[in-house]
Amino acid sequence: MLRTAGRSLLSRALHRAVVVPQHPAGPPPTAALMSSQRWFNASGFRAGSHAPSGALDEFGIATGVEREELEYQSQGKKRFDLDPPRGPFGTKEAPAIIESNYDERIVGCSGGLGEDEHDVTWFTLEKGQTHECPVCTQVFELKVIGPGGKPGSDEHH
Amino acid sequence: MSVSQKHPYHLVDPSPWPLLGSLGALASTIGGVMYMHSFTGGGTLLSLGLGMILYTMFVWWRDVIRESTYEGHHTFVVQLGLRYGMILFIVSEVMFFLAFFWAFFHSSLAPTVEIGAIWPPKGIDVLNPWGIPFLNTLILLSSGAAVTWAHHAILAGFKKQAVYALVATILLALVFTGFQGMEYVEAPFTISDGIYGSTFFLATGFHGFHVIIGTIFLIICAIRQYLGHFTQTHHFGFEAAAWYRHFVDVVWLFLFVSIYWWGGN
Repeated sequence: MLRTAGRSLLSRALHRAVVVPQHPAGPPPTAALMSSQRWFNASGFRAGSHAPSGALDEFGIATGVEREELEYQSQGKKRFDLDPPRGPFGTKEAPAIIESNYDERIVGCSGGLGEDEHDVTWFTLEKGQTHECPVCTQVFELKVIGPGGKPGSDEHH
Repeated sequence: MSVSQKHPYHLVDPSPWPLLGSLGALASTIGGVMYMHSFTGGGTLLSLGLGMILYTMFVWWRDVIRESTYEGHHTFVVQLGLRYGMILFIVSEVMFFLAFFWAFFHSSLAPTVEIGAIWPPKGIDVLNPWGIPFLNTLILLSSGAAVTWAHHAILAGFKKQAVYALVATILLALVFTGFQGMEYVEAPFTISDGIYGSTFFLATGFHGFHVIIGTIFLIICAIRQYLGHFTQTHHFGFEAAAWYRHFVDVVWLFLFVSIYWWGGN
């Protein structure tokens, strides 16, 4: 049962689902294979996960968004940056730049360092206009780095 | 879908399983009450409800495996959330067992005159803790050690060894369950033998039920490990099963010391 050479029917069926189905020049894929192809492709299954021979790369069986996260990490970059933005105190001449995928972003200002820190004050930072924090007068400006538009406008659901 | 998501979280696709599970819970509770009061159809409804719950568990968790292993939705923060979730679930289970231990100590620390003002109560023939119960303690501890062996094998990439270690874990747990079952059948007292019987069988009974749940969880992990779902850096399903096994082990140690050993003197 544990021989690596001969695989059980279940193992073969599941392996077929994981590896990207190839389109051979020979006979067309079976109905079962086609339906699993459709299902996985509809979910955004990434075709680049495996070499054509079926061998695994350094990320193993990782796929999808998890694989993207690992790929970025191996290049020293972050796929998702959840850390709060840091930088010098924003002034009118040199506002604090906040990046956003869209035309506006909700921002919380906690002031400067040490004694200058205050309770977080929330506001919506919009494209084209700077915003001054009502508590500590720090100035913010939005920098659109994504598709723009209203938040969530480019999502399909 | 070519849009890459901007956040690392998993927004789950709509699923019918929560509804099915709720309907199963409704059927189980109503069917259970009907059955206990001898209404016609009670047993049938209860069985239907329990079946629905088991089916829900199967399809729901199958979908989680599809979303994680096959679709790659489980990023680092998703995994972190699942870790918190499992820990909180186990904490809630600890609270559950705390209730039964409370009941046991309430009755045994100040035994009433009706049972002879002694513990164990007059007339109760207690089990020798150093017989099967002690053997079971060693079996469960070994099972816990085996699951740790399996974990290290997974971390080191020894896939076949991990399967063997999981099989050992499962076999030991099954032997424990077998011995407990035998003890239950052969015990000189029953659940209706006063407060001793009630506290003993409820506490050890729910523990045994949790051992069986943990064993099923580990069997699923063994199958997944055999199929290659777990990687050296990402195998949270296995870790959750291992945490659950250790929790069950700790509960048994408390049971052994308080109910079997202290409660038997």
